[in-house]
Amino acid sequence: MKKYFLDARELAHPEPLRISLEYLKEMRDEDYFYMINIREPIPLLELAKGKGYRLFTHKDNNQNWHIIISKNQQQNLEELLDV
Amino acid sequence: MFNQGGLSLDQAPPISVVLRFFVTASIFGILLGLFLLLQSLNLTTLSSYATQLITVHTLSLGVMASFMLGALFQMLPVLAGVVIKTPTTKAMIVHILLSVGVLVQLYAFGIGSNSLLFFLASTYLGSALFYAIYLMLKELIKIKTHSSSSKGILFALLALISTTLFGIYLLLAEGGFIVGVEFSHIKELHYSFALFGWVSLLIVSISFQVIEMFYVTPAYPKKMSRYITVTVLGLLVLKSILVLLNYSSTLLTATIALLFLIYATVTIDRLTQRKRPIADATVWFWLFGMALFILSMTITLISSFLPIDSTLQHLSYITFIGFALSIVFAMVYKIVPFLTWFHLSNQGYMEAPMMHDVIHPKKAKIHFYIHIVTIAIWLLTTDITWLGSLLLAISFSWLFYNLFFAIKKYTYTQKHCERIEW
Repeated sequence: MKKYFLDARELAHPEPLRISLEYLKEMRDEDYFYMINIREPIPLLELAKGKGYRLFTHKDNNQNWHIIISKNQQQNLEELLDV
Repeated sequence: MFNQGGLSLDQAPPISVVLRFFVTASIFGILLGLFLLLQSLNLTTLSSYATQLITVHTLSLGVMASFMLGALFQMLPVLAGVVIKTPTTKAMIVHILLSVGVLVQLYAFGIGSNSLLFFLASTYLGSALFYAIYLMLKELIKIKTHSSSSKGILFALLALISTTLFGIYLLLAEGGFIVGVEFSHIKELHYSFALFGWVSLLIVSISFQVIEMFYVTPAYPKKMSRYITVTVLGLLVLKSILVLLNYSSTLLTATIALLFLIYATVTIDRLTQRKRPIADATVWFWLFGMALFILSMTITLISSFLPIDSTLQHLSYITFIGFALSIVFAMVYKIVPFLTWFHLSNQGYMEAPMMHDVIHPKKAKIHFYIHIVTIAIWLLTTDITWLGSLLLAISFSWLFYNLFFAIKKYTYTQKHCERIEW
Protein backbone atom coordinates (compact mmCIF):
# COMPACT_ATOMS: atom_id res chain seq x y z
CA MET A 1 0.00 0.00 0.00
CA LYS A 2 1.69 3.17 -1.21
CA LYS A 3 0.90 6.63 0.14
CA TYR A 4 0.74 9.45 -2.43
CA PHE A 5 1.19 12.64 -0.44
CA LEU A 6 0.54 16.24 -1.44
CA ASP A 7 0.88 19.34 0.73
CA ALA A 8 -1.18 21.83 -1.29
CA ARG A 9 -1.29 24.62 1.29
CA GLU A 10 0.90 26.97 -0.69
CA LEU A 11 -0.02 25.87 -4.19
CA ALA A 12 -2.04 28.15 -6.44
CA HIS A 13 -5.15 26.90 -8.20
CA PRO A 14 -5.28 24.69 -10.26
CA GLU A 15 -1.99 23.01 -9.31
CA PRO A 16 -3.46 20.96 -6.43
CA LEU A 17 -6.18 19.60 -8.72
CA ARG A 18 -3.71 18.86 -11.51
CA ILE A 19 -1.28 16.98 -9.29
CA SER A 20 -4.09 15.14 -7.49
CA LEU A 21 -5.56 13.90 -10.78
CA GLU A 22 -2.14 12.67 -11.85
CA TYR A 23 -1.77 10.74 -8.61
CA LEU A 24 -5.27 9.29 -8.79
CA LYS A 25 -4.65 8.02 -12.31
CA GLU A 26 -1.32 6.52 -11.28
CA MET A 27 -2.48 4.84 -8.05
CA ARG A 28 -3.17 1.11 -7.84
CA ASP A 29 -6.34 -0.09 -6.11
CA GLU A 30 -4.56 -0.73 -2.79
CA ASP A 31 -2.79 2.67 -2.72
CA TYR A 32 -4.14 5.84 -1.21
CA PHE A 33 -3.81 9.57 -1.72
CA TYR A 34 -3.29 11.96 1.20
CA MET A 35 -3.59 15.70 0.73
CA ILE A 36 -3.35 18.65 3.13
CA ASN A 37 -4.96 21.87 1.96
CA ILE A 38 -6.20 25.14 3.44
CA ARG A 39 -9.64 24.63 1.90
CA GLU A 40 -11.88 21.68 1.17
CA PRO A 41 -11.06 20.69 -2.44
CA ILE A 42 -14.66 20.11 -3.48
CA PRO A 43 -13.95 19.78 -7.24
CA LEU A 44 -11.49 17.00 -6.54
CA LEU A 45 -13.86 15.29 -4.10
CA GLU A 46 -16.78 15.46 -6.56
CA LEU A 47 -14.60 14.13 -9.31
CA ALA A 48 -13.18 11.28 -7.23
CA LYS A 49 -16.65 10.37 -6.02
CA GLY A 50 -17.86 10.26 -9.60
CA LYS A 51 -15.02 7.91 -10.53
CA GLY A 52 -15.88 5.48 -7.73
CA TYR A 53 -13.17 6.39 -5.19
CA ARG A 54 -13.76 6.36 -1.45
CA LEU A 55 -13.16 9.59 0.44
CA PHE A 56 -12.43 10.79 3.93
CA THR A 57 -12.07 14.45 4.92
CA HIS A 58 -11.10 16.03 8.22
CA LYS A 59 -10.55 19.65 9.28
CA ASP A 60 -7.91 19.94 12.01
CA ASN A 61 -7.55 22.58 14.73
CA ASN A 62 -5.27 24.69 12.52
CA GLN A 63 -8.06 24.92 9.93
CA ASN A 64 -6.19 22.63 7.53
CA TRP A 65 -8.12 20.02 5.56
CA HIS A 66 -6.83 16.44 5.44
CA ILE A 67 -8.13 14.54 2.42
CA ILE A 68 -7.73 10.78 2.00
CA ILE A 69 -8.80 9.09 -1.23
CA SER A 70 -8.55 5.43 -2.15
CA LYS A 71 -10.15 2.79 -4.35
CA ASN A 72 -9.63 0.16 -1.70
CA GLN A 73 -13.10 -0.76 -0.41
CA GLN A 74 -11.74 -2.66 2.62
CA GLN A 75 -9.43 0.02 4.03
CA ASN A 76 -10.66 2.15 6.93
CA LEU A 77 -9.59 5.59 5.65
CA GLU A 78 -10.00 7.27 9.04
CA GLU A 79 -7.23 5.07 10.40
CA LEU A 80 -4.84 6.66 7.91
CA LEU A 81 -5.45 10.14 9.28
CA ASP A 82 -2.24 11.77 10.45
CA VAL A 83 -2.92 14.75 12.74
CA MET B 1 -13.01 25.98 -11.61
CA PHE B 2 -12.75 27.36 -8.13
CA ASN B 3 -13.30 26.06 -4.73
CA GLN B 4 -15.95 27.00 -2.24
CA GLY B 5 -18.82 25.22 -0.59
CA GLY B 6 -21.13 23.43 -2.98
CA LEU B 7 -18.93 23.67 -6.02
CA SER B 8 -18.73 20.87 -8.50
CA LEU B 9 -16.57 20.64 -11.57
CA ASP B 10 -18.50 17.66 -12.86
CA GLN B 11 -21.48 19.96 -13.14
CA ALA B 12 -19.46 22.49 -15.12
CA PRO B 13 -20.91 23.14 -18.58
CA PRO B 14 -19.20 21.90 -21.76
CA ILE B 15 -16.26 23.99 -22.92
CA SER B 16 -18.20 25.20 -25.98
CA VAL B 17 -20.55 27.18 -23.71
CA VAL B 18 -17.72 29.46 -22.62
CA LEU B 19 -15.68 29.56 -25.80
CA ARG B 20 -18.55 30.66 -28.05
CA PHE B 21 -18.87 33.84 -25.93
CA PHE B 22 -15.11 34.45 -25.71
CA VAL B 23 -14.54 34.02 -29.45
CA THR B 24 -17.47 36.35 -30.24
CA ALA B 25 -16.13 38.95 -27.80
CA SER B 26 -12.73 38.84 -29.52
CA ILE B 27 -14.34 39.28 -32.94
CA PHE B 28 -16.31 42.29 -31.71
CA GLY B 29 -13.05 43.69 -30.33
CA ILE B 30 -11.32 43.28 -33.70
CA LEU B 31 -14.28 44.88 -35.49
CA LEU B 32 -14.19 47.79 -33.05
CA GLY B 33 -10.49 48.37 -33.72
CA LEU B 34 -11.11 48.30 -37.49
CA PHE B 35 -14.12 50.61 -37.16
CA LEU B 36 -12.07 53.14 -35.18
CA LEU B 37 -9.26 52.82 -37.69
CA LEU B 38 -11.66 53.83 -40.48
CA GLN B 39 -12.88 56.71 -38.31
CA SER B 40 -9.34 57.92 -37.62
CA LEU B 41 -8.61 57.93 -41.36
CA ASN B 42 -11.87 59.84 -42.03
CA LEU B 43 -13.17 57.02 -44.17
CA THR B 44 -16.70 57.11 -42.71
CA THR B 45 -19.29 59.86 -42.60
CA LEU B 46 -20.65 59.11 -39.15
CA SER B 47 -21.29 61.90 -36.65
CA SER B 48 -19.20 61.97 -33.48
CA TYR B 49 -22.36 61.12 -31.48
CA ALA B 50 -22.96 57.98 -33.56
CA THR B 51 -19.26 57.05 -33.32
CA GLN B 52 -19.36 57.44 -29.56
CA LEU B 53 -22.49 55.29 -29.23
CA ILE B 54 -21.13 52.59 -31.53
CA THR B 55 -17.79 52.50 -29.70
CA VAL B 56 -19.28 52.40 -26.21
CA HIS B 57 -21.83 49.69 -27.05
CA THR B 58 -19.46 47.50 -29.03
CA LEU B 59 -17.20 47.57 -26.00
CA SER B 60 -19.84 47.20 -23.31
CA LEU B 61 -22.12 44.68 -25.02
CA GLY B 62 -20.19 43.06 -27.86
CA VAL B 63 -16.98 42.66 -25.88
CA MET B 64 -17.60 42.98 -22.14
CA ALA B 65 -21.08 41.43 -21.87
CA SER B 66 -20.00 38.52 -24.07
CA PHE B 67 -16.95 37.85 -21.93
CA MET B 68 -18.80 38.31 -18.66
CA LEU B 69 -21.86 36.21 -19.52
CA GLY B 70 -19.65 33.45 -20.92
CA ALA B 71 -17.53 33.47 -17.78
CA LEU B 72 -20.66 33.44 -15.60
CA PHE B 73 -22.13 30.41 -17.39
CA GLN B 74 -18.89 28.63 -16.57
CA MET B 75 -18.23 29.96 -13.11
CA LEU B 76 -21.67 29.98 -11.47
CA PRO B 77 -21.72 26.22 -10.89
CA VAL B 78 -18.27 26.33 -9.38
CA LEU B 79 -18.25 29.74 -7.69
CA ALA B 80 -21.73 29.63 -6.26
CA GLY B 81 -22.52 25.92 -6.45
CA VAL B 82 -25.59 26.49 -8.64
CA VAL B 83 -26.34 24.48 -11.74
CA ILE B 84 -27.95 25.80 -14.90
CA LYS B 85 -29.55 22.77 -16.53
CA THR B 86 -29.01 22.13 -20.28
CA PRO B 87 -26.47 24.96 -20.41
CA THR B 88 -25.46 24.36 -24.04
CA THR B 89 -28.87 25.20 -25.48
CA LYS B 90 -29.50 28.06 -23.08
CA ALA B 91 -26.08 29.62 -23.66
CA MET B 92 -26.63 29.29 -27.41
CA ILE B 93 -29.96 31.17 -27.18
CA VAL B 94 -28.39 33.98 -25.11
CA HIS B 95 -25.36 34.10 -27.40
CA ILE B 96 -27.37 34.36 -30.64
CA LEU B 97 -29.84 36.93 -29.28
CA LEU B 98 -27.02 39.02 -27.82
CA SER B 99 -24.85 38.93 -30.94
CA VAL B 100 -27.72 39.74 -33.29
CA GLY B 101 -28.96 42.41 -30.87
CA VAL B 102 -25.56 44.12 -30.75
CA LEU B 103 -25.24 44.13 -34.54
CA VAL B 104 -28.76 45.52 -35.01
CA GLN B 105 -28.14 48.14 -32.32
CA LEU B 106 -24.86 49.26 -33.89
CA TYR B 107 -26.55 49.49 -37.28
CA ALA B 108 -29.35 51.53 -35.71
CA PHE B 109 -26.82 53.92 -34.15
CA GLY B 110 -25.07 54.23 -37.51
CA ILE B 111 -28.23 54.98 -39.48
CA GLY B 112 -29.82 57.00 -36.69
CA SER B 113 -33.37 57.40 -37.97
CA ASN B 114 -34.79 53.91 -38.46
CA SER B 115 -37.41 53.28 -35.77
CA LEU B 116 -37.76 49.60 -36.60
CA LEU B 117 -34.05 48.97 -35.99
CA PHE B 118 -34.20 50.58 -32.55
CA PHE B 119 -37.25 48.47 -31.72
CA LEU B 120 -35.54 45.28 -32.92
CA ALA B 121 -32.36 46.13 -31.03
CA SER B 122 -34.26 46.64 -27.78
CA THR B 123 -36.18 43.39 -28.35
CA TYR B 124 -33.12 41.25 -29.12
CA LEU B 125 -30.91 42.76 -26.42
CA GLY B 126 -33.69 42.83 -23.83
CA SER B 127 -34.50 39.15 -24.54
CA ALA B 128 -30.84 38.10 -24.39
CA LEU B 129 -30.00 39.92 -21.19
CA PHE B 130 -33.24 39.24 -19.31
CA TYR B 131 -33.12 35.57 -20.26
CA ALA B 132 -29.51 35.28 -19.04
CA ILE B 133 -30.35 37.18 -15.84
CA TYR B 134 -33.40 34.96 -15.26
CA LEU B 135 -31.38 31.76 -15.73
CA MET B 136 -28.74 32.86 -13.25
CA LEU B 137 -30.82 34.74 -10.69
CA LYS B 138 -33.40 31.99 -10.24
CA GLU B 139 -30.61 29.68 -9.14
CA LEU B 140 -28.70 32.27 -7.09
CA ILE B 141 -31.70 33.24 -4.96
CA LYS B 142 -32.06 29.60 -3.87
CA ILE B 143 -28.68 29.64 -2.12
CA LYS B 144 -29.13 29.41 1.64
CA THR B 145 -25.65 30.42 2.76
CA HIS B 146 -24.09 32.92 0.41
CA SER B 147 -20.37 33.50 0.00
CA SER B 148 -19.22 37.08 -0.62
CA SER B 149 -18.76 36.13 -4.26
CA SER B 150 -22.17 34.56 -4.86
CA LYS B 151 -23.91 37.45 -3.08
CA GLY B 152 -21.92 39.98 -5.09
CA ILE B 153 -22.77 38.26 -8.38
CA LEU B 154 -26.43 38.40 -7.40
CA PHE B 155 -26.15 42.17 -6.84
CA ALA B 156 -24.25 42.62 -10.11
CA LEU B 157 -27.09 40.85 -11.93
CA LEU B 158 -29.64 43.11 -10.21
CA ALA B 159 -27.61 46.07 -11.46
CA LEU B 160 -27.72 44.53 -14.94
CA ILE B 161 -31.54 44.47 -14.75
CA SER B 162 -31.57 48.23 -14.14
CA THR B 163 -28.96 48.80 -16.85
CA THR B 164 -31.06 46.84 -19.35
CA LEU B 165 -34.34 48.53 -18.41
CA PHE B 166 -32.78 51.99 -18.73
CA GLY B 167 -31.12 50.94 -21.98
CA ILE B 168 -34.43 49.80 -23.47
CA TYR B 169 -36.00 53.12 -22.45
CA LEU B 170 -33.19 54.98 -24.24
CA LEU B 171 -33.47 52.83 -27.38
CA LEU B 172 -37.24 53.29 -27.56
CA ALA B 173 -36.80 57.04 -27.07
CA GLU B 174 -34.14 57.13 -29.83
CA GLY B 175 -36.57 55.23 -32.08
CA GLY B 176 -39.39 57.68 -31.38
CA PHE B 177 -41.63 55.13 -29.64
CA ILE B 178 -41.74 57.12 -26.41
CA VAL B 179 -41.25 60.81 -25.74
CA GLY B 180 -38.31 60.26 -23.43
CA VAL B 181 -38.76 63.27 -21.16
CA GLU B 182 -36.32 61.72 -18.66
CA PHE B 183 -33.76 60.91 -21.37
CA SER B 184 -30.72 62.64 -19.82
CA HIS B 185 -31.51 61.36 -16.32
CA ILE B 186 -32.04 57.80 -17.53
CA LYS B 187 -28.87 58.01 -19.60
CA GLU B 188 -26.88 58.96 -16.50
CA LEU B 189 -28.41 56.07 -14.53
CA HIS B 190 -27.89 53.65 -17.43
CA TYR B 191 -24.16 54.40 -17.40
CA SER B 192 -23.92 54.38 -13.58
CA PHE B 193 -25.57 50.99 -13.22
CA ALA B 194 -23.60 49.57 -16.15
CA LEU B 195 -20.16 50.74 -15.01
CA PHE B 196 -20.38 50.85 -11.21
CA GLY B 197 -23.04 48.18 -10.83
CA TRP B 198 -22.71 45.49 -13.48
CA VAL B 199 -19.05 45.66 -14.56
CA SER B 200 -17.38 46.78 -11.33
CA LEU B 201 -19.50 44.77 -8.91
CA LEU B 202 -19.03 41.58 -10.92
CA ILE B 203 -15.25 42.03 -11.02
CA VAL B 204 -15.15 42.85 -7.30
CA SER B 205 -17.31 39.82 -6.41
CA ILE B 206 -15.26 37.38 -8.43
CA SER B 207 -11.98 38.77 -7.15
CA PHE B 208 -12.93 37.93 -3.55
CA GLN B 209 -12.53 34.30 -4.47
CA VAL B 210 -10.06 34.15 -7.32
CA ILE B 211 -7.32 36.45 -6.01
CA GLU B 212 -6.74 34.34 -2.91
CA MET B 213 -7.08 31.11 -4.79
CA PHE B 214 -5.18 31.74 -8.01
CA TYR B 215 -2.34 33.67 -6.46
CA VAL B 216 -2.17 32.32 -2.87
CA THR B 217 -2.62 35.69 -1.17
CA PRO B 218 -4.06 36.62 2.22
CA ALA B 219 -7.86 36.90 2.14
CA TYR B 220 -9.60 40.26 1.72
CA PRO B 221 -10.66 41.97 4.96
CA LYS B 222 -13.97 40.37 6.02
CA LYS B 223 -15.77 43.70 6.36
CA MET B 224 -14.85 44.60 2.80
CA SER B 225 -15.87 41.31 1.20
CA ARG B 226 -19.13 41.27 3.19
CA TYR B 227 -20.35 44.82 2.74
CA ILE B 228 -18.87 46.57 -0.29
CA THR B 229 -21.14 45.03 -2.94
CA VAL B 230 -24.39 45.57 -1.06
CA THR B 231 -23.32 49.12 -0.16
CA VAL B 232 -22.53 50.04 -3.77
CA LEU B 233 -25.84 48.61 -4.99
CA GLY B 234 -27.69 50.48 -2.22
CA LEU B 235 -25.95 53.73 -3.17
CA LEU B 236 -26.89 53.20 -6.83
CA VAL B 237 -30.55 52.70 -5.91
CA LEU B 238 -30.42 55.85 -3.78
CA LYS B 239 -28.75 57.70 -6.61
CA SER B 240 -31.57 56.69 -8.98
CA ILE B 241 -34.16 58.15 -6.65
CA LEU B 242 -32.23 61.43 -6.27
CA VAL B 243 -31.54 61.76 -9.99
CA LEU B 244 -35.16 61.11 -10.95
CA LEU B 245 -36.31 63.65 -8.34
CA ASN B 246 -33.83 66.16 -9.77
CA TYR B 247 -31.64 66.27 -6.67
CA SER B 248 -27.86 66.23 -6.70
CA SER B 249 -26.31 62.76 -6.36
CA THR B 250 -22.70 63.95 -6.36
CA LEU B 251 -21.96 62.77 -2.86
CA LEU B 252 -23.22 59.27 -3.61
CA THR B 253 -21.08 59.00 -6.74
CA ALA B 254 -18.08 60.21 -4.74
CA THR B 255 -18.76 57.59 -2.05
CA ILE B 256 -18.94 54.80 -4.65
CA ALA B 257 -15.66 56.00 -6.20
CA LEU B 258 -14.04 56.10 -2.76
CA LEU B 259 -15.18 52.55 -1.95
CA PHE B 260 -13.76 51.26 -5.23
CA LEU B 261 -10.53 53.18 -4.58
CA ILE B 262 -10.11 51.40 -1.26
CA TYR B 263 -10.98 48.05 -2.85
CA ALA B 264 -8.43 48.46 -5.67
CA THR B 265 -5.72 49.48 -3.20
CA VAL B 266 -6.42 46.43 -1.04
CA THR B 267 -6.33 44.18 -4.13
CA ILE B 268 -2.91 45.52 -5.12
CA ASP B 269 -1.75 45.05 -1.53
CA ARG B 270 -2.97 41.43 -1.55
CA LEU B 271 -1.29 40.70 -4.88
CA THR B 272 2.02 42.02 -3.60
CA GLN B 273 1.76 39.54 -0.71
CA ARG B 274 1.67 36.44 -2.94
CA LYS B 275 3.39 33.49 -1.31
CA ARG B 276 4.90 32.42 -4.62
CA PRO B 277 5.56 35.60 -6.56
CA ILE B 278 6.39 34.14 -9.98
CA ALA B 279 6.24 36.19 -13.18
CA ASP B 280 2.72 35.60 -14.47
CA ALA B 281 0.99 37.76 -17.09
CA THR B 282 -2.39 37.26 -15.43
CA VAL B 283 -1.07 38.90 -12.23
CA TRP B 284 0.32 41.74 -14.31
CA PHE B 285 -3.12 42.17 -15.93
CA TRP B 286 -4.72 42.31 -12.46
CA LEU B 287 -2.16 44.80 -11.14
CA PHE B 288 -2.37 46.98 -14.24
CA GLY B 289 -6.17 46.82 -14.15
CA MET B 290 -6.32 47.83 -10.51
CA ALA B 291 -3.88 50.72 -11.07
CA LEU B 292 -6.14 51.97 -13.89
CA PHE B 293 -9.21 51.51 -11.66
CA ILE B 294 -7.55 53.68 -9.02
CA LEU B 295 -6.86 56.38 -11.60
CA SER B 296 -10.38 56.24 -12.98
CA MET B 297 -12.01 56.40 -9.55
CA THR B 298 -9.67 59.21 -8.44
CA ILE B 299 -10.79 61.32 -11.41
CA THR B 300 -14.44 60.43 -10.65
CA LEU B 301 -13.89 61.50 -7.06
CA ILE B 302 -12.25 64.79 -8.07
CA SER B 303 -14.95 65.50 -10.65
CA SER B 304 -17.58 65.13 -7.93
CA PHE B 305 -16.30 68.27 -6.23
CA LEU B 306 -14.33 70.20 -8.85
CA PRO B 307 -15.00 70.94 -12.51
CA ILE B 308 -12.70 68.86 -14.74
CA ASP B 309 -11.74 69.51 -18.34
CA SER B 310 -12.40 67.19 -21.29
CA THR B 311 -8.86 65.76 -21.18
CA LEU B 312 -9.33 64.52 -17.63
CA GLN B 313 -12.77 63.22 -18.55
CA HIS B 314 -11.20 61.33 -21.46
CA LEU B 315 -8.59 59.86 -19.09
CA SER B 316 -11.35 58.73 -16.75
CA TYR B 317 -13.10 56.80 -19.56
CA ILE B 318 -9.94 55.22 -20.97
CA THR B 319 -8.66 54.15 -17.55
CA PHE B 320 -12.02 52.52 -16.77
CA ILE B 321 -12.09 50.70 -20.10
CA GLY B 322 -8.47 49.66 -19.56
CA PHE B 323 -9.33 48.37 -16.10
CA ALA B 324 -12.26 46.26 -17.29
CA LEU B 325 -10.37 44.82 -20.26
CA SER B 326 -7.30 44.02 -18.14
CA ILE B 327 -9.35 41.95 -15.71
CA VAL B 328 -11.22 40.20 -18.50
CA PHE B 329 -7.94 39.27 -20.20
CA ALA B 330 -6.51 38.03 -16.88
CA MET B 331 -9.53 35.78 -16.41
CA VAL B 332 -9.54 34.47 -19.99
CA TYR B 333 -5.88 33.44 -19.74
CA LYS B 334 -6.68 31.53 -16.55
CA ILE B 335 -10.02 30.04 -17.59
CA VAL B 336 -9.30 28.78 -21.13
CA PRO B 337 -6.08 26.78 -20.48
CA PHE B 338 -7.59 25.32 -17.32
CA LEU B 339 -10.87 24.29 -18.95
CA THR B 340 -9.16 22.79 -21.99
CA TRP B 341 -6.83 20.72 -19.85
CA PHE B 342 -9.52 19.81 -17.34
CA HIS B 343 -12.18 18.65 -19.80
CA LEU B 344 -9.67 16.59 -21.81
CA SER B 345 -8.08 15.16 -18.70
CA ASN B 346 -11.44 14.27 -17.20
CA GLN B 347 -12.47 12.62 -20.47
CA GLY B 348 -9.48 10.29 -20.04
CA TYR B 349 -7.08 11.61 -22.66
CA MET B 350 -3.69 10.64 -21.25
CA GLU B 351 -1.91 12.98 -23.66
CA ALA B 352 -4.15 15.94 -22.84
CA PRO B 353 -2.11 19.11 -23.32
CA MET B 354 -0.94 20.73 -20.12
CA MET B 355 -2.22 24.23 -19.38
CA HIS B 356 0.94 25.92 -20.66
CA ASP B 357 0.61 23.95 -23.93
CA VAL B 358 -2.91 25.25 -24.49
CA ILE B 359 -1.94 28.93 -24.25
CA HIS B 360 1.73 29.32 -23.48
CA PRO B 361 2.42 31.89 -20.70
CA LYS B 362 4.67 33.73 -23.17
CA LYS B 363 1.67 34.33 -25.41
CA ALA B 364 -0.21 35.88 -22.49
CA LYS B 365 2.83 38.06 -21.76
CA ILE B 366 2.93 39.25 -25.37
CA HIS B 367 -0.73 40.18 -25.06
CA PHE B 368 0.02 42.10 -21.88
CA TYR B 369 2.70 44.17 -23.67
CA ILE B 370 0.34 44.88 -26.58
CA HIS B 371 -2.37 45.82 -24.08
CA ILE B 372 -0.29 48.31 -22.08
CA VAL B 373 0.98 50.00 -25.25
CA THR B 374 -2.61 50.19 -26.54
CA ILE B 375 -3.88 51.77 -23.33
CA ALA B 376 -0.88 54.12 -23.16
CA ILE B 377 -1.54 55.39 -26.71
CA TRP B 378 -5.24 55.92 -25.91
CA LEU B 379 -4.31 57.77 -22.72
CA LEU B 380 -1.80 60.01 -24.45
CA THR B 381 -4.10 61.06 -27.26
CA THR B 382 -7.47 62.68 -26.73
CA ASP B 383 -8.71 61.90 -30.23
CA ILE B 384 -9.15 58.62 -32.11
CA THR B 385 -5.79 57.82 -33.69
CA TRP B 386 -4.96 55.25 -36.35
CA LEU B 387 -2.21 53.84 -34.10
CA GLY B 388 -4.47 53.35 -31.06
CA SER B 389 -7.19 51.82 -33.24
CA LEU B 390 -4.75 49.50 -34.98
CA LEU B 391 -3.29 48.39 -31.65
CA LEU B 392 -6.78 47.68 -30.35
CA ALA B 393 -7.47 45.48 -33.38
CA ILE B 394 -4.09 43.73 -32.90
CA SER B 395 -4.77 43.17 -29.20
CA PHE B 396 -8.07 41.39 -29.87
CA SER B 397 -6.64 39.56 -32.89
CA TRP B 398 -3.92 38.15 -30.66
CA LEU B 399 -6.52 36.99 -28.16
CA PHE B 400 -8.59 35.49 -30.98
CA TYR B 401 -5.53 33.63 -32.26
CA ASN B 402 -4.82 32.25 -28.78
CA LEU B 403 -8.42 31.09 -28.37
CA PHE B 404 -8.39 29.56 -31.84
CA PHE B 405 -5.16 27.71 -30.97
CA ALA B 406 -6.72 26.37 -27.76
CA ILE B 407 -9.80 25.14 -29.63
CA LYS B 408 -7.55 23.48 -32.21
CA LYS B 409 -5.58 21.71 -29.45
CA TYR B 410 -8.82 20.56 -27.87
CA THR B 411 -10.33 19.11 -31.05
CA TYR B 412 -7.00 17.62 -32.16
CA THR B 413 -6.65 15.75 -28.85
CA GLN B 414 -10.21 14.46 -29.06
CA LYS B 415 -9.69 13.22 -32.62
CA HIS B 416 -6.19 11.79 -32.46
CA CYS B 417 -5.27 10.84 -28.90
CA GLU B 418 -5.96 7.66 -27.02
CA ARG B 419 -8.60 7.69 -24.34
CA ILE B 420 -8.61 5.58 -21.20
CA GLU B 421 -11.22 4.82 -18.58
CA TRP B 422 -10.08 5.73 -15.08
